[in-house]
Amino acid sequence: MNLAEVMQELADQLDTIAGLNAFGYPADTISPPAAMVDYPDGIEFDATYGRGSDTMVVPVYVAVGKASDRAARDTLGAYADGAGAKSVKQVLEAGAYEAFDTCRVSGAEFAVITVGAVDYLAAKFTVDITGPGE
Amino acid sequence: MARQHGKSTVVKVNAVDLTQYTSNSQISRKGDAHDVTGGGVDDYVHAGGLKGGTFTMDGTYDTTAVTGPRAALQGLLATSVPIIRQPEGTGTGKPQDSFNAVMTGYSESNPVSDMVKWSAEFTISGAVTTTPQA
Repeated sequence: MNLAEVMQELADQLDTIAGLNAFGYPADTISPPAAMVDYPDGIEFDATYGRGSDTMVVPVYVAVGKASDRAARDTLGAYADGAGAKSVKQVLEAGAYEAFDTCRVSGAEFAVITVGAVDYLAAKFTVDITGPGE
Repeated sequence: MARQHGKSTVVKVNAVDLTQYTSNSQISRKGDAHDVTGGGVDDYVHAGGLKGGTFTMDGTYDTTAVTGPRAALQGLLATSVPIIRQPEGTGTGKPQDSFNAVMTGYSESNPVSDMVKWSAEFTISGAVTTTPQA
């Protein structure tokens, strides 16, 4: 699996969510609501013999606005929903990808993140990726 | 001494290369020891008997038609098939075990939080031929 291709394909799939600005890298300037595909902690090689498959866990951040803003809460709720047109889990898992075989959004955590010196209410989604070793 | 990593292992069942779908395999060989102890001795005496063994393998499910583990193995239950095992991978002079074995079990497990897994069990039938690869 090519890391850059994996990150970009995830961003392209997130871009299909209406109104969401998706970046395939940790951008330093965003216009919320925005999704940023971050780098994985690492890649686990050799899940099977003969370079059959590798795995990685890719974090995806979705930033929506000020943490004290009620509208931001409502917006983030739709992205963190397990189903729905804006559900990050549903949209990512429904995608057709070439850089990897399968993905699963296994969880989400919430925090205030700083991007370009601006604080945003955000969700960090954990995306489990499995793809070919060669 | 040179250590050998398991990732290079090659496994072929019934002429289908399942290497890239396999994450673990094990061959266990055994031989009978018959008690032929006579009188007038202080220690047991044994004579060698028949040899046998089992072979197991498991890995990650793959949807690949024909050559995927499900397609290649599921129909082999209770059938004697040729198995080739290359514990150090492919290469001239590297060891290769060839034997026939009856497939006595095939399992698939579907955990909600992980990839679909498969496993197969075989009982070795006849001799295990060990030769260096040409």
